[in-house]
Amino acid sequence: MDRDEWLHLARKLDWDFSYVSEDDVFPEVPSGRPRLPHSAWRDWDEPYKTTFAEYVANQHEKNAAVEAVRAALGSAEDARKLPPGWLNALKLHAATLPLAEFAAVIGNLRGARFGRDSAWRTTANFGALDEFRHTEIPLLLMQELVKVHPQFDWTHRFYHSNDWVAIAGRHLVDELLLGSNAIEFAIATNFVFETGFTNLQFVGLSSLAHGVGDRMFETMVNSIQSDEARHSQIGGPVLAKVAVHDRAYAQYLLDKWFWRSWLLFAVVTGFSMDYLTPVEHRTRSFKEFMQEWVIDQFLRSLKEYGLERPWYWDEFMTALDHYHHMVYASAYTYRASVWFDFVLPGPVERTWLRQKYPASWSEYEPVWERITDCWRQADPGNDFAVHGTAIVGFCDLCQLVLCNGTPRHNSATVLDRGGRRYIFCSEPCRWIFEQEPERYASHKDVVKRVLAGEAPANLIALVRQYFGLTYDDWGKDAFGGVYPWLHREPR
Amino acid sequence: MIPLYGFLEGDTLGLLVLAGAEDTAAELAAKLQQAARTRRAERRAMKLIYRGRVVDPSETVARAKMQPLDRFDVVEA
Repeated sequence: MDRDEWLHLARKLDWDFSYVSEDDVFPEVPSGRPRLPHSAWRDWDEPYKTTFAEYVANQHEKNAAVEAVRAALGSAEDARKLPPGWLNALKLHAATLPLAEFAAVIGNLRGARFGRDSAWRTTANFGALDEFRHTEIPLLLMQELVKVHPQFDWTHRFYHSNDWVAIAGRHLVDELLLGSNAIEFAIATNFVFETGFTNLQFVGLSSLAHGVGDRMFETMVNSIQSDEARHSQIGGPVLAKVAVHDRAYAQYLLDKWFWRSWLLFAVVTGFSMDYLTPVEHRTRSFKEFMQEWVIDQFLRSLKEYGLERPWYWDEFMTALDHYHHMVYASAYTYRASVWFDFVLPGPVERTWLRQKYPASWSEYEPVWERITDCWRQADPGNDFAVHGTAIVGFCDLCQLVLCNGTPRHNSATVLDRGGRRYIFCSEPCRWIFEQEPERYASHKDVVKRVLAGEAPANLIALVRQYFGLTYDDWGKDAFGGVYPWLHREPR
Repeated sequence: MIPLYGFLEGDTLGLLVLAGAEDTAAELAAKLQQAARTRRAERRAMKLIYRGRVVDPSETVARAKMQPLDRFDVVEA
């Protein structure tokens, strides 16, 4: 028997139940909908098939390669040679990645138990093992860098904190990876998040890591990507099945999770690509990476499954020119509220950004001019002279700051429901909330916590007591506001 | 105090502004500009918009019937 013939048998292991019902084995709550008999799932097929023996051999080889690069180039000394901006892109990824990967173990295990076909469950088992690896590798590599800077301690601390980014992260991860049923997980995580967006990290960011000379990060993300490419293949066949039997639901899940994934990647990857990577090492802008690695592929996939682009597509295309710029400028002026440092874009960086974002950059130029003027009047290292003090507004769906739309018109929108008032950063966030209000309505954003007396209203107290940051690890300007191009007036 | 969400034209985010019931629209606009000053230099000729209506600079928050967590905008006149 050749491998393929044998593997087909080894993946198709289900029999018809006689002593229990399908509902007993695959209840709707963890398995998901549409409710279809197993006969409808029997032809489920993933394109990237592997045996257990092949899996173990491949993973052993990949881990050995990571270990080899770690031994040669993974020390704190090596990290100290990296550009300061890039080190802060690492801190951002180090915090948001590993524990979310562990949550993805749980999501995959739900698929491994409640996926409706044995081949799906087999691949989901491998997916869970993959995500264990993706938890351990960054924890190992990044925790070592605490020797370089205490902010790397947020690699483990981040999801345990009430920092506003962590609140937003948990709000997404809890639903996407921990709370969703097997079908929603497969479409949201495997299809939208992993097939749609992680190429941005693993191809785009990996090429930037190569450019700045960070072989360790480059090796890590490439190693992770080869796993993602395999288990993300669960998503397509599940989506295909749902699209045939309940097209409206398939479209809803796509629309919901594309927007939610976009917001996260715009912050994590957008910051890294367009601001924290030194300009001389940037090959393409975040928008260009998005167009090449996310949008083209996503639209092709939608066509393949007979689905439409999300209803908010025009708003999304506008956001490509704006959203991460809005958030970065805002977060720069509230940098003490996060665990990594920021770089002030100078004339060379702004020229590059103007070329890459001709439709929008003119709206950001006055903001950066103003921030630069504030630094001109401040002493070097006096971050609080160039820092906001008012409490910021947060979206009641994504929990991120109210930064959607454009500087000319912020797209925040207010909703009254059940005697409570909610605010959303955008129409898609409001729409997602209104589809499943029972899921989201009781959650309090940071402002609501302040108003309820659960969090301090004073910004410094909020940062210290509630977000869990101290002077040593809260974000600052990466260069203390000292740049060769920034001339201070003699005083 | 009445917590309101303020959006300054040209700024990059919405801010929480605590307004007094007797604050005028001009005073409220000034509070928002002050809160956003790190990103936008304060400008003189500004108008406050609430529920699609330009609020007279002398009109108070109470008279304009602004409610907690309402949105207002401050834009160039």
